[in-house]
Amino acid sequence: MPLENPITSVSDRVAELNHRYRDQDTSDVLRHALHDPMIGPIALVSSFGAEAVVLLHMISAIDPTTPVIFIDTKMLFAETLDYQLKLTQELGLTDVRRISPTREAVFLRDSENLMHLHDRDACCALRKSEPLEGALAGFDAWISGRKRFQGGQRTTLELFETDDDLRVKINPLAHWSREDVADYIAANNLPRHPLVAKRYRSIGCSPCTTPVGTGENDRAGRWRDDDKIECGIHFASDGSAQRAPANVIVNDEGFAPEHWRGEFSSFDDLGNISEAQKAALAVDLSNVADAAALLPWIDQIDLIRVEFPVFSDGRGFSLARQLRLLGYQGRLRAKGHVLADQYAMARRSGFDEVEIDQGLAERQPEAQWLARADWQARDYQQQFHQCA
Amino acid sequence: MTNEATAQIITANDLLSGEVVYLSDAGKWSPEHGDAALLGNVQADARLSEVQKSDPSVVGPYLAGATQRDDAPSPIHFREVFRTKGPSNRFLGKQAHAV
Amino acid sequence: MYNYTMFDKDFVANRAAQFRDQVQRRIDGSLTEDEFRPLRLMNGLYMLLHAYMLRVAIPYGTLSTAQMRALADVADRWDKGYVHFSTRQNIQFHWPHLQDVPDILEALAKVDMHAIQSSGSCIRSITSDHFAGAAEDEAEDPRPTAEFVRQWSTDHPEFAFLPRKFKVAVTGSKHDRAVTKLHDIGLTLVRNATGAAGYEVSVGGGLGRTPMIGKVLREFLPRADLLAYLDAILHVYNRIGRRDNKYKARIKITLHENGIDEIRRQVENNFKLQRARFDGSDQDIFARIEGDFEPPVFKQASIGGYEATRNDDPLFRSFTDTNLHPHKNTDYTIVTVSLKAHGATPGDASSAQMRALADIAQEWSHGELRVSHEQNIILPHVHKSDLPSVHKALRNAGLATANIGLISDLIACPGMDYCDLATARSINVAQGIATRFDELKLEHEIGHLKLKISGCINACGHHHVGHIGILGLEKRGVESYQITLGGDGTETAAIGKIIGPGFSADEILPAIERLIAAYLDLRLDASEIFLTAFRRLGPAPFKAAIYTDEVKNHAA
Repeated sequence: MPLENPITSVSDRVAELNHRYRDQDTSDVLRHALHDPMIGPIALVSSFGAEAVVLLHMISAIDPTTPVIFIDTKMLFAETLDYQLKLTQELGLTDVRRISPTREAVFLRDSENLMHLHDRDACCALRKSEPLEGALAGFDAWISGRKRFQGGQRTTLELFETDDDLRVKINPLAHWSREDVADYIAANNLPRHPLVAKRYRSIGCSPCTTPVGTGENDRAGRWRDDDKIECGIHFASDGSAQRAPANVIVNDEGFAPEHWRGEFSSFDDLGNISEAQKAALAVDLSNVADAAALLPWIDQIDLIRVEFPVFSDGRGFSLARQLRLLGYQGRLRAKGHVLADQYAMARRSGFDEVEIDQGLAERQPEAQWLARADWQARDYQQQFHQCA
Repeated sequence: MTNEATAQIITANDLLSGEVVYLSDAGKWSPEHGDAALLGNVQADARLSEVQKSDPSVVGPYLAGATQRDDAPSPIHFREVFRTKGPSNRFLGKQAHAV
Repeated sequence: MYNYTMFDKDFVANRAAQFRDQVQRRIDGSLTEDEFRPLRLMNGLYMLLHAYMLRVAIPYGTLSTAQMRALADVADRWDKGYVHFSTRQNIQFHWPHLQDVPDILEALAKVDMHAIQSSGSCIRSITSDHFAGAAEDEAEDPRPTAEFVRQWSTDHPEFAFLPRKFKVAVTGSKHDRAVTKLHDIGLTLVRNATGAAGYEVSVGGGLGRTPMIGKVLREFLPRADLLAYLDAILHVYNRIGRRDNKYKARIKITLHENGIDEIRRQVENNFKLQRARFDGSDQDIFARIEGDFEPPVFKQASIGGYEATRNDDPLFRSFTDTNLHPHKNTDYTIVTVSLKAHGATPGDASSAQMRALADIAQEWSHGELRVSHEQNIILPHVHKSDLPSVHKALRNAGLATANIGLISDLIACPGMDYCDLATARSINVAQGIATRFDELKLEHEIGHLKLKISGCINACGHHHVGHIGILGLEKRGVESYQITLGGDGTETAAIGKIIGPGFSADEILPAIERLIAAYLDLRLDASEIFLTAFRRLGPAPFKAAIYTDEVKNHAA
């Protein structure tokens, strides 16, 4: 929630603040920002991850009653939870607010805790962005620990940013190097996150965090094997995370570019689609969707795209079969981690085409897919349904 | 069998022959347990994750506890002892190679 | 026997070529190990403790002499000159090299064999009664159905990536020799009131960590509906089976968690849709398959020599006392060849023995061999007058052990001598028991007894359904063996009960000896087998015998 009567817009304030604090030392930035009349109530948002101790320590020195928001996604490492308790106590922080997604939200959207496998953005939204949004209600600004050296979109990070024109986002460590962080921790003899010793250099949720190898970017261990680089609470200003090049469509002729020009609606959107959208309707389906629920729209949909979170999860094949059994005649696409070796299975289950990302297309080039383009040959099933 | 005091070795099976192999100090795979590099827990985790990510020449690398005995790392768990020899019902595997 | 069509031959040859390409792509880096693993598993290739293991399917346990010889050739050329017959009607090579596997599969394809779906989270090789088409007590031959289901399940596009492996068994006899009720799907051939052919369909049986006996999903399914109904069961399982926990992923857990009524409702709903896809073409295929399973032309000859030899030759008499089973044709018999010579590894056969078996079957068993899940080889059609010649040939090959159904005819998984999942060895325990009871010359006195040993909780040695089961575990860094009693894998299926704390590798054999001594003491007479005595008396007296005060004190 912004100030009751903001004097100026958030972006104007951000420009002014960046100018004013340009040459200040980090702890001065923090000290002054916490009491700057241009900024309303402030919270520190901390992951209690690998480098979080720096800001927590500074805040504790300036004002240990500063609200600290800790997002417990319910998928954190046990070490992180221990570390949070330890730091809170050692630093004497008096207002650490541990927030989590609501039980209802998790139950409804990710009851098996597997969403991270097939839709990481949605998982981050459920477990991080939405709870944070709620917890930030009433604050005019929040402090984050992001740094330019972490790379990706962060290389151009400013001290102050707008958060969707709603709030000011303060990045006191924007200019810090990795060495600065290490020096500060050493100089102040601060406790390290236990996983740092195991080569974790950026620590988020356990399913999506891995250790980092020599020479890798510090955040290489986050969402490894995915082009995702931000969790969703720090999305780029256009509201989307940075993405790799366009996906490849595979059909019996080989590789092709995307042919669908329209949007993809989610299953939940189907209740609110306009007449215009109906003219060219494409739907994204999770592989756990119930095809029967699509029945009211089944004749209007032109393209259904079924997510394959990981090639070893064969539910998508049965979903395709079920869609065909229910009479769906539009185009059917398998999207995600599908191997060339599964192309014949996909076609025989009722899919028309497969959508893969560039990385997979490079590792399994067109020839490997074309080798399975003879999917109609040697099909035992076909024998049983000869005249069908 | 793994506790903080235990040292670890990295072992796997060779991609082509399937033979049990051990990661040596030099970063090479050796069929001899005695050649295995004895690693501390932290170091072992890091080496293992490197190997898992970047070494396609072996299958299923994992950590196994080991102790230093007579100047060479020696397995602790009976499963790992079997892996250094071969089946007990037939004279095949490493025990036969040694002859 | 089933004759491969050009379609079947082309399919298998093509799969072998495909796998050659996949192996190449693994070696050149196009496929990561994570991606290659399910592909190699789908082609029967595992990585075990010391080496790769290639599991070749012997669908419903039938084998021709040419196939047996080809398997022996593979053992000599690419392996170590022996094979292991598994507890699931498969054959395992324990030492192949990755780059040789495509050559092995190509050689096997030439004799209509393959390793397709012998592992992985897919529909596994179909198992059946190893006496099918021969046994006197058989109501209907299960092999056409088994072959039909094999074809349906082969490369089924929808079911190659299930939550977990899926096993189907078919039986057509009132005596269940296929452990049907402990399969994910068990099909029993039945006739309805009007005499129409069909199946009783049970689902959700299984051993492993949570042993369960299958429940009847459909009491009578007309034969024409079989494939649509199987499609429906697998479809429902694939969609709702758990994938978050490997130990809760089998259909037995799906059934347990959702209840049989809910599963039945979902299956029947989907079945209605699936059935519309069938136009009867499948029944033409069934009829064609059935034609391949016509019984051989049995010879007419005197069986007089058989009784005469029995009177003259005590070894022959002993062999024929234990290793025969009644055949439909009373002049014929079914011979079970024991792969359990005392002290040998259960289920292992040398390439020379395999060739000898092929020769014997060629000459005296209408060219047919069977493999049982009890790790023996069956000569299904032997004329009684040929038995002396068969016995002599078996003796020459070291295959005339007369112990079928006795305590030394035990089954054992490879255990920690080979298996990467094992928590303890099982072969050594099997060898110890067989050797000991042979020394005591007690096994004929003990009579019919099923002893089954698994080297881990996954229960490949079927210990849950052994009259006596032994499960090898690890306790505090050493092997520990737990005894279960009262299991039964037949039509009166029962899961054995754990009798008490485990024994060390040194203590297990004496414990079994005490148990058997107690049984000999407690039985009404020689006709009361162990299982019957156990059912009559309950576990208490056996437990008391196993855990003497001395043992208890020692354990404490």
